[in-house]
Amino acid sequence: MDFKRPLFAALTATFLIAFGAMPTVAVAQNTPLNLPGKSSRGAAASVVTTDQVRAELLAWAPEGVEPGKPVWVGLALTHQPEWHTYWKNSGDSGLPTQLDWQLPAGIDAGEIAWPTPKKIPIGTLANYGYEKTVLLPVPLTVAPSFAGNQLEVKLKAAWLVCRKECIPQEGEFALSIPVRSSTAASSQLFQDTFAATPKPLAAGASQVEVGGGKSIKISLAGLPAALQGKTLALYPETGSVIEPAAAWQQAWQGAVWTAEVPLSGQRSESPASMPLVVALENVAYRIDAPVKGSWPAPAAAAVVPPALEAALRANAATGAAPVQAGGTPPVGLLAALLGALLGGLVLNLMPCVFPVLAIKVVGFVQVKDAATRLTTGLAYTVGVVLSFLALGALLLGLRAAGEQLGWGFQLQNPAVVALMAALFTLLGLNLAGLFEFGNILPGRLAGWQAKNPTVNAFLSGVLATAIASPCTAPFMGASLGYAVGLPALQALSVFAAIGVGMAIPYLAASAIPAVARVLPRPGPWMLTFKQLMAFPMFATVAWLVWVLGQQSGVDGAGALLALLVLMALVIWAFTLRGTARTLLAAFSITLGALGLWAVGPNITRPVAVASAAPAAGGWQAWEPGRVDQLAAQGQSVFVDFTAAWCVTCQYNKKTTLANAAVLADMQAKNVALLRADWTRRDPAVTAALAQLGRNGVPVYVIYKPGRAPVVLSEILSVDDVRAELAKL
Amino acid sequence: MSNRTPAVSPLTRRQFSGALAAAPWLASAAFSAQAATAAVGQAAPDFSAVDTAGKTHRLSDYKGKLVVLEWTNPGCPFVRKHYSGNMQSLQKEFTARGVVWLAVNSTEAGSGDYLAPAKLAGWMAEKQGQPSATLMDESGQVGQLYGAKTTPHMYIISPQGQLLYAGGIDSIPSARVDDIKTATNYVRQGLTQALGGKPLSVASSRAYGCSVKYKDAA
Repeated sequence: MDFKRPLFAALTATFLIAFGAMPTVAVAQNTPLNLPGKSSRGAAASVVTTDQVRAELLAWAPEGVEPGKPVWVGLALTHQPEWHTYWKNSGDSGLPTQLDWQLPAGIDAGEIAWPTPKKIPIGTLANYGYEKTVLLPVPLTVAPSFAGNQLEVKLKAAWLVCRKECIPQEGEFALSIPVRSSTAASSQLFQDTFAATPKPLAAGASQVEVGGGKSIKISLAGLPAALQGKTLALYPETGSVIEPAAAWQQAWQGAVWTAEVPLSGQRSESPASMPLVVALENVAYRIDAPVKGSWPAPAAAAVVPPALEAALRANAATGAAPVQAGGTPPVGLLAALLGALLGGLVLNLMPCVFPVLAIKVVGFVQVKDAATRLTTGLAYTVGVVLSFLALGALLLGLRAAGEQLGWGFQLQNPAVVALMAALFTLLGLNLAGLFEFGNILPGRLAGWQAKNPTVNAFLSGVLATAIASPCTAPFMGASLGYAVGLPALQALSVFAAIGVGMAIPYLAASAIPAVARVLPRPGPWMLTFKQLMAFPMFATVAWLVWVLGQQSGVDGAGALLALLVLMALVIWAFTLRGTARTLLAAFSITLGALGLWAVGPNITRPVAVASAAPAAGGWQAWEPGRVDQLAAQGQSVFVDFTAAWCVTCQYNKKTTLANAAVLADMQAKNVALLRADWTRRDPAVTAALAQLGRNGVPVYVIYKPGRAPVVLSEILSVDDVRAELAKL
Repeated sequence: MSNRTPAVSPLTRRQFSGALAAAPWLASAAFSAQAATAAVGQAAPDFSAVDTAGKTHRLSDYKGKLVVLEWTNPGCPFVRKHYSGNMQSLQKEFTARGVVWLAVNSTEAGSGDYLAPAKLAGWMAEKQGQPSATLMDESGQVGQLYGAKTTPHMYIISPQGQLLYAGGIDSIPSARVDDIKTATNYVRQGLTQALGGKPLSVASSRAYGCSVKYKDAA
């Protein structure tokens, strides 16, 4: 073999060693050198040499190539110091060496009989592989049909050689093995390798115990007595089950070797049995141990939370980002801020803010001098902006804590709805003249409040925000949807912009003297106006009671009404004087407390079916995946994301969405009508809104299979909807 | 209209009302502590890292969006295999569909493979890669948090912040570009399924590639 070296050198000198992405491809062929008469010198070899590895194809057929006789081929890899290649389970990184054989008919190659590897730590990771020289032997099976004087073996091998850096390399090898004579030049290497290859043992009582924990318990029985009491190395053949680099425990319990090995946090295999190799220096054994117990719940099952599933399905029809048909698309923070400002401005015209408008008008007329007016205007602005910031911070905080919430989330809570109803009742009774706050509140507090119009204005700002929050005005929807995805500071700036927008008209009015001059002089008309304004307050209460009815049923709404009556009684009792006051107050408070105890819990008790209205006019309930199903049938879908507490939603529902022409168009285009109800908290709906880039209701979407969903304006006009439908 | 029972447990509602009643500045207390290491099906741990342009990114910034984490190292042949076009087309396809794609380089500054931010950005630009951002993680903290072992090592995080996928980029562990054609791309499959609202058929696989060149544990 030695005489061939210079020729090999000449051949290998031409090999390009690429230290890059392209695998090194090296070809060595020595078949032409197998001259007649020389074949008895032993196996022909084929060598590929790179800067890191010398790879040589070897054969061992001591009794010739015949059926039933041992015939082995193998790739010997000799590594430069520090470099290594990999075992069949390469550990945390790396790749096992691959051998692809091309063999003549009648010859079959078996699997690589992998020699015992060693553990190669790399920083915090660990690999299983080989350094120095390793032979990867493969048995060949010879069928009786095989004929010929030479067995031509061709091999394409690919290996990854690593130090810290890794280089994938490939080589093509060819070898001619004489059939009728002995090929035994590499006998020693093959014999040494066979000796170092793990010896299979029966599983017997061996097992791998899998619990719910983060480790597995291995017990191997039937290991030779010579190993007992010794510390063994462990190599699992199945990859991605354990953490190769993690610390583990082992112990002998009599003749049984046990180990507790940490599971990989990102385990991708759940085998029914685990072939394990244990080694003591050069002696190794392999046991295919059955797995007892069940693997910790397959992570895949819990992967998609229902909310996500719903959200994603809602968008599945196209997979593309939703298109805005009206309003502003959420482009960048600046656009979001502008949209928010505009939205806040329009918020003043929303039906739910109307009662606040009334309070403000009354308050505004009472202020006489310009300086105070400006101060109150500013105080009102600060009140509004701070309240929006507070609500925004609360929303973001709760979302960060994992709650599925969106804008208007306060009103999804029946307790908050009930409290707001109580607040509005109180305001209504006050405006109607049943009581003055001064008679109820402790004297000092009332006096302080009256003397501080600034504080008053600030508080009215807070109140205005509380009432306005459930209404998402046009332009605001996109901004808020965008805001919740932003870093906290930027998101809060969007909330602040809404507040500024909402306060601007009052601020402007308070700053411009001309506005004050236009307003009528204070006079007796104010009392009449004040009493008149009590009615929007009570109307709001009626609405809130209805909202609560959607959330907690007729029992909840009834309980709320009863408690509101009792609250009014308590307040009335406090307006009395003398003994009557003491007696009646005590009586009414007792009655109120009893009522609260008796029927109060009804208010927050959820009803099993939280339907805001029976399915009517062809509307069906939205469900996660429903849009997907309909789209799969090629049907277009209109979804109305709504909530009972959203006045804008209710307005659109009663007008545009009940419009005969719109409904006729929907029918003509065979559009399925779905209504997603967000009256109570519903993570599925929240997620579906998020998928559309929204975070509040109303949202109107048209899905058409194969097209991005189209989001319509919050102020839904008949013409808009019909125009959009015409495009289907 | 909806006939689903609202999924509001009494406990969450009580917490909710409590939080609502509490002053908003207490809301920060509601931020939950994060778990230690990433596991599929669990909450993906939050992190913050600076990108090649010096901008700080927090995972929590991207709540509401699908997020892909891609461990990268231009010095690694497996990374270069996939940057022959495969990785770029994935980045382009899915960032266009609203997915946030964060390439993370956890190579320690002392490694021969280390690229300074400007050079890494230059490499990414030269390769016409289109991740949403390329993050520097010389300390290896983000990598250790996610148990990233190889480059590439891929993760998909749900809009709710759950780890949906951890593992290799595809089904054929090799350094050969030719294998990309025949391999099942688990990231494309996973993202497509997630965007389609389906559970991931493969939620974890063996990541293959070069080891991440982590800073040695101090």
